[in-house]
Amino acid sequence: MASGARSLRSVPDPGGAPPRSEDELLGAVARGDQEAFSELYDRVAGKVYGVIRRVLRDPSQSEEVAQEVLVEVWRTATRFDPDRGSAVTWIMVMAHRRAIDRVRSEQSSRDRDQRVGQREHVRPFDEVAEEVETRFEHQQVRDALDQLTDLQREAVELAYYGGHTYREVAELLDAPLGTVKTRLRDGLIRLRDAMGVHA
Amino acid sequence: MTSPDIHTLTGAYAVDALEEDERQLFELHIRECDACAQEIAEFHATAAAVGDAAHEPPPPSMKAAVLAEIDTVRQERPLPSTVTDLASRRDPWYQRLLAPAAAVLAIAVLGMTAIIANMNGRIATMETQTARVADVVAAADASIIEMPGFEGANARLVYSASRGEGIFLADGLPEAPGEKVYELWFIGEDGASPAGLFDADERGRVTHVLTGDLSQVQAIGVTVEPAGGSAQPTSDPIMVAEV
Repeated sequence: MASGARSLRSVPDPGGAPPRSEDELLGAVARGDQEAFSELYDRVAGKVYGVIRRVLRDPSQSEEVAQEVLVEVWRTATRFDPDRGSAVTWIMVMAHRRAIDRVRSEQSSRDRDQRVGQREHVRPFDEVAEEVETRFEHQQVRDALDQLTDLQREAVELAYYGGHTYREVAELLDAPLGTVKTRLRDGLIRLRDAMGVHA
Repeated sequence: MTSPDIHTLTGAYAVDALEEDERQLFELHIRECDACAQEIAEFHATAAAVGDAAHEPPPPSMKAAVLAEIDTVRQERPLPSTVTDLASRRDPWYQRLLAPAAAVLAIAVLGMTAIIANMNGRIATMETQTARVADVVAAADASIIEMPGFEGANARLVYSASRGEGIFLADGLPEAPGEKVYELWFIGEDGASPAGLFDADERGRVTHVLTGDLSQVQAIGVTVEPAGGSAQPTSDPIMVAEV
C-alpha cells in the first residue's frame, strides 16, 4: 500500500532526490504512506515532545501525550489543508492543545477532589519563569522574546509554556484581565513581526 | 470600566489560554471574522516557532510505539472541503457551543453522528436561544464583560450594543440551593427589573440569553430567589457587572 501511494507522487524519490518538505511528507501520509510518516516523525517528534514536556513537565505523561498526538497526525493527515498554514504549525497547534487539555482535565478533577485542599500544585511564578528562562536555547526565539515588554513576555510564557489560562496569568502577574488579554495579543504581534512569521 | 472587545481574544486563543466555554464561543466568532481568523493563523505559526525552541529528543522507544500503533489505526476519510468549511457549513455551530469539551473532541474522533443523536433533544429546545447566542458573539462590536466570581464560578457577559442583546455565561456555578433559583436583573436608573431565571446544569454551566432592551441598562446583577422568581430582588446580589 505504501509503495502504491508513493507511485502517485509526481516527483520520484530515488537516491539523490532533494529531501521532501514536511508539507509534502504530510501529503504522502494522508495517502497512507507509512514510510513518509516515519520520516515525518523524525522531523517533528522532538518539537512535539519538547513543547508538551515544557507544558506538562512530567516525562512519562509527556511521552504519552506526544504519542497520542503523533498517532493523531497519522489519523487526521487527510484533513490537513495546506492553504491554512504549514504542516509543522498544524502539528504544533495539535500538540500544544493536547498538552493543555491534559493540564485542564487534571486541574478540574483535582478541583473536584479537593475544592478546599491545599494549593501545593500551584507553582510560584518565579519558579515557572526561571525554568522557562534557563531552558531557552533557540537564539532567534530568545532574541524575539527580548523585544517584548516584561509583561508581554511573561504573559506569553506563562500561557504558552506554563499552560495557564489568561485568568490564571492575570492572578500570577497581579494584572487586570483586560490587560493580560491585550498583552498576550500585543506580545504575539511583536513576536510574529520579529520572527518574520507568515501564516 | 472598559470592556475589551472580542477581537482582542486572538492572542489568548492562539496560545490556548481561554477557558473552555470562552474558546467555543470565540470559535464561533472566528468563523464570521476574517481578520481574527487571519491573525490566529499567524499567531499559530508564531507559537509553533516559539514551541520549536523547546525541542527535546523524545525517548527512543517512542518511535517504535507510535509506528506500531498507526499500523492499527485507520485514517479518517478526507473531507469534501476543509475542516473549517465543514464546521461552519455542515456542523451546526450549536453542537459545538453546547457539547462539553470531550464531545467537541469526539466530533473529530468519531464523526458527528453520535453527537447529533445525543444532542437532538436539547437542540430542539435550545435552537432559538443558541441562534441568538451566535448572533451576539459574531457581532462586530461584541464585548466580554467579566463578572466577579461567586464561589469559584467564572461568569461573564457577552454583550453587543449594536444588537442590544447579551448572553450571561457561567461555569463552575453551584446549583441553586433547595427551592431557590438564580434570577438575573437589569439595573438602571429606575431600579432593578427581572431579566430571567436560570439554574446551573449538573456541570455548573449556564448559557442564558438576556431578554429585553439592554440599551438603558447600567448593570446586570444576579440574586438567589425563591422558586418562580421575584418581581424585585429579595436578597443581596451574588454577582454584579456594569455594562
